[in-house]
Parts: sequence; structure tokens; C-alpha cells
Amino acid sequence: MIPAFLQIAIAALSCWILFITVDILWALPREGGVVGAKAIAAAIERGGGHIRGGTMMGNIVSSPDASAGTLLAACGVYSGGIFGGLLATVLVYVGNRICHDPGYAGTTGCFLATFMVYIGTQLGIAAEFFVIGMVIAILTIQGVSHRHASRFLGLLWRLRQ
Amino acid sequence: MEAASMSEGVFVLPEYLTGPFSSPLLQSPGESAELAALLCGIIALYAVIRIMLEPDVMRKLPFLNVFSFAIAGIMALMIPHPLGTVAAAAYFIGSTFESNALASTYAGGVDE
Amino acid sequence: MNLLLAGICCLITCIGGVYAGTVRDPYAKLIGIGVIGGGVMPLIVARGYADVAAALALIIPLSTIFILQVCRKGEP
Repeated sequence: MIPAFLQIAIAALSCWILFITVDILWALPREGGVVGAKAIAAAIERGGGHIRGGTMMGNIVSSPDASAGTLLAACGVYSGGIFGGLLATVLVYVGNRICHDPGYAGTTGCFLATFMVYIGTQLGIAAEFFVIGMVIAILTIQGVSHRHASRFLGLLWRLRQ
Repeated sequence: MEAASMSEGVFVLPEYLTGPFSSPLLQSPGESAELAALLCGIIALYAVIRIMLEPDVMRKLPFLNVFSFAIAGIMALMIPHPLGTVAAAAYFIGSTFESNALASTYAGGVDE
Repeated sequence: MNLLLAGICCLITCIGGVYAGTVRDPYAKLIGIGVIGGGVMPLIVARGYADVAAALALIIPLSTIFILQVCRKGEP
């Protein structure tokens, strides 16, 4: 039986890697997928951040992306197994269309996260720790320092290109 | 409330339609879910304090996003039933839509 | 839901209410209203009213957007 805080740490790390990989692959830092992302990106750049990292953080705020998809997939697997996760994927897809986002970052993130969380539950990490792990992951990106987080995301974006 | 419904037969039907806790098959969330929900609550409180301390209004929105993540997490953990996931998803999508409207109106963009 | 979590949610709601009442910037006020709504939702869900919570989760942001439209039209 793995101790609780170690389960939380492993879950947080895997959620962090998954949602950043899916978001960078879907080119979230490239442009504003929704209109509101530009205002947030400009404000973060005014505070000394990187414009590409700021655009990605603005896209995370303005539309359900892979981070929201991972959270809802973890909630879905917690409540109903794999079918709960697939239900969450449908909800994230509807949410993307409601927020006028033409992309599929949220849907693919939720779909992949469903299987990641399910495999995690088979390996001994309970699904609720994936929920808190995802919240901790988004806290490290958007809740501590916008300047440093946007610079880090800008560095990852440069690596992708 | 249950006693009054049992005495008037026609009002029994809404009891079957209320949330998942009316079913005897559902148990309350376990210990680890309570711990996870408590951690989400602490993160939500931290995010609210950061919202208050931030001077620039557009930079408050990422902290509001962290707050929405934490509250959606608490809501989904409290009810181990798909209806809890639907409620958490509805709250999260509503909060994201509202943040999107705030940011785009601030930028002078699309009016709904 | 234990007492500590309910206390944290009440504290969040009160802080959001006081903040929304005292801040000057209109956008910050709307963010404060969002915090009030978010603080109240776990308390509703903890009683099993998931459907009421889902309905409120649609109503509160829509009201905020309507307030945004009213304030926008109010400006010259």
C-alpha cells in the first residue's frame, strides 16, 4: 500500500506531464484560440512574462483544454470507471463548443487522461488522488508566479518548433 | 421532510427524482476522498487570497481558474456518482465561459 | 463533508462577498461574484443536491454575463 502523499506526488507528476504535452502538441501557445486569451497574454507580458507562455495560460483560462480534460477525466473515472471518463470526454467536447473554441485539445486530453487514470487505479493509485494531483499541477502553472511559468512554457514552445 | 412526503402519496414521486443520495446503494465518499477534498479546499482558499492581492485585473483570471479547478474537484469528490461529475463539469464550463466573457469584454472584443 | 471543509467554503464565500463589495474596479467586482458562487457550490453538493448544483452552475455565470452586458451598454 503506497503512502498517501506519495500517491498524490506520482499522480500530480503524471497529470502535469500529460496536460503540458497535449497542450504543447496542439499548439496552444501559437495563437489565441479564443478572443479572451489575447487580453490575458498581454497582461502577463506586461508583468515581465513571455508572450507565448502567456498565450498558453490565456488559452487554459478561456477554454476547457487538456488541463480541464484531465481533471474531468479523473472525476469521471472516480465516479464510474472508464465509462465515467468517456462521459467526461463528451462533456468536455460540449464545453469546448460552448466556449467558441474550434480545437480538440480538451477532448483528446480527456480521452488520454481517462486511460491514464484507469491504468493508475490498476497500479494502486486511487482515482481521487488524480483529482487532487491535477489541481496541484494547475496550481504550479497558474497559481504561483505567472512570470516564471510563462517563461518556462515559452521555453517548451521553442523546443517544440 | 420525509415524514410529510410519506403521509401525502402524490408527493412521493419527487423523492425518486432527487439526487443520488436518496438511493441506498450509494455510500458517502471514503477517507482518501475526504483528504483529497480538504486539500482542494486549502488550494481554493489560497487562490482566493491571491485573487485579492493581485493588482492587475486581467492577471486575477488565472487565479480564478485555479479556484474553479479546486471547487470542481471538491464537487466531484463529494458525490461518487456520475451525477457529481456532471455537476462539476457544468460548474467548470460555466466558470470558464464567464472568464472568457470577462477577458474578451475587457479587450473590447465580441459582445455576447 | 467534514466541518473543516464546510468552514473553508463558508470562509471563501464571506471573503468573496466582502471583496466584491469593497473593490472599485468593475471587472474585479464580477470576479468577486464568481468567487461567491464558487464558495457556495460545495455546500449545495454536500447535501446531495447535485441537480440543483448543476442548475446553479449554469445560472450564476449567465447572470454575470448579463450584468456585463448591462454595464457595457451603460457606458457612453
